[in-house]
Amino acid sequence: MIEFRQVYKRYPTGQLALYNVNLTIHAGEMLFITGNSGAGKSTLLKLIALLETPSKGNVLVGNMPLTHLNPRQIPSYRRKIGFIFQDPHLLYDRNVFDNVALPLLISGMPLPDIKRRVNAALDKVGLGRKTKSFPLMLSAGERQRVGIARAVVNRPTIILADEPTGNLDPELAQDIMYTFAQFNDLGATVLIASHDHGLVERMKKRTVVLQRVEL
Amino acid sequence: MTSKKPLAKPQPSAHRSRLYSIWWRQQKQAIDFSLKRLWFNPISAWITLIAIALALSLPTSMHVLVKNLQSLTHNNQSVPTISLFLKPKVTEQQANDLAELVKTQPEVFSTTVVTRDQALQDFKKISGLADTLKTLGENPLPNIVIITPKLNELGETDADLDDFTKRIKTYKEVEDVQIDVEWIQRLRAILQIAERIVAVVAALLAFTVLLVVGNTIRLDIENRKDEILVTRLIGATNRYIRRPFLYGGLWLGLFGGVLSLLVVNIALLFLVGPVNKLSTLYGNSFSIGGIDLTTTLEVLVISSILGLVGAWLAVNRYLWENEVIND
Repeated sequence: MIEFRQVYKRYPTGQLALYNVNLTIHAGEMLFITGNSGAGKSTLLKLIALLETPSKGNVLVGNMPLTHLNPRQIPSYRRKIGFIFQDPHLLYDRNVFDNVALPLLISGMPLPDIKRRVNAALDKVGLGRKTKSFPLMLSAGERQRVGIARAVVNRPTIILADEPTGNLDPELAQDIMYTFAQFNDLGATVLIASHDHGLVERMKKRTVVLQRVEL
Repeated sequence: MTSKKPLAKPQPSAHRSRLYSIWWRQQKQAIDFSLKRLWFNPISAWITLIAIALALSLPTSMHVLVKNLQSLTHNNQSVPTISLFLKPKVTEQQANDLAELVKTQPEVFSTTVVTRDQALQDFKKISGLADTLKTLGENPLPNIVIITPKLNELGETDADLDDFTKRIKTYKEVEDVQIDVEWIQRLRAILQIAERIVAVVAALLAFTVLLVVGNTIRLDIENRKDEILVTRLIGATNRYIRRPFLYGGLWLGLFGGVLSLLVVNIALLFLVGPVNKLSTLYGNSFSIGGIDLTTTLEVLVISSILGLVGAWLAVNRYLWENEVIND
């Protein structure tokens, strides 16, 4: 379970991104976060991934306030999260296999296990035949799916996706959303920030709308 | 109803071995990755290596030269510099006995007797005055005892030398003492200054190597910002992120050190001929030596450490500046 308790976030520039957010996300839920640009969708996800810290209030994951995490515990906490960006941030000097294998290499998994897990993840996103391709040889949709495979290869309990379909055509965007739904069916908690209201409505999942606050 | 067997608790030794195998796997990955980075970026790698090599070559070559010159002033180097001219009536046997006696002095490394006949022959050869010498009838030259002193024992001041000379002069067989040891003592004093200069130059150039490696690694970090962000986000520790950069710095330092040794050895080859010629002029067997194993290891260890420290400073600075919560 993920809980936001009276969370405020103000950036050093003075911009107020979140104002008194109270939100509970149940384990195994698939939740959409929508809102206009600057409403704080990305900030909300970054707070869960510990890429940002709240200015006030608490974020709890599994009843554990994230501010209580020892700095040494942060990497292992992050290994339980799969983060997908609008730009998948692939490493362009490595092929698809090596990009997806990265989280497993970090966790020190033996090579045979890595091969098995990476191939399974790539099959899941329909890229089983492109293991040796480099990111520049792929389409935008394929690159995004490599990003998804990398995010889920470590079997995270939480998947965070920040505008994952922002650069894709509607048909491909729908495919990607169904892929997320499949991971949700397997038990992962999935949070997707998106401003594509039509797409979000079609998925028929709980949706939280964030509004920009000017103070 | 079937009862389930409880899961066995992992043994501590098995856990340790698993951690070790993870650690070793990650080390291998970092080594492999850092070497590939050097291999696939040959231009920037070579520029850095040459800069490091040149920076290390200067103090290394100065150190080798000072060490060579120091060997000249060491007591095991045969530099016969004190001549005892004996009284005309002293026989060859007495000269040999005196040589043995003088050799027992703590400051003396060895003694050689040059008999008056030998001296005459040598003089004839050198001067070309053989016919003139024949007219003298009698050999006017005395027997000579040549002393090779232990320069370390002899002391470093004129007073020490005077004291030694006075003691030698007390032997009744000795007519006169001729000393040619001052130049070595002065050389030794100069070398002490040179040693300090080498230390200062080495410190300054070591700092330069730190900056060169640090800057190269900083540029590498800039080029791999995205990768660092991604790896951090998927749970990489700072140690994991730091590791390939540290190996990168280590290779730059180590290979830069190897290159500097090569440069210094080539430079020494150019010096061998002229130095040998100069040495012959001083009647000495001194010959310039190359870089010995100890110096080689010293250079390689120091350059590797400098590379490692330069990389560590650069990568740590980046990690501190770019992490919300530092681990």
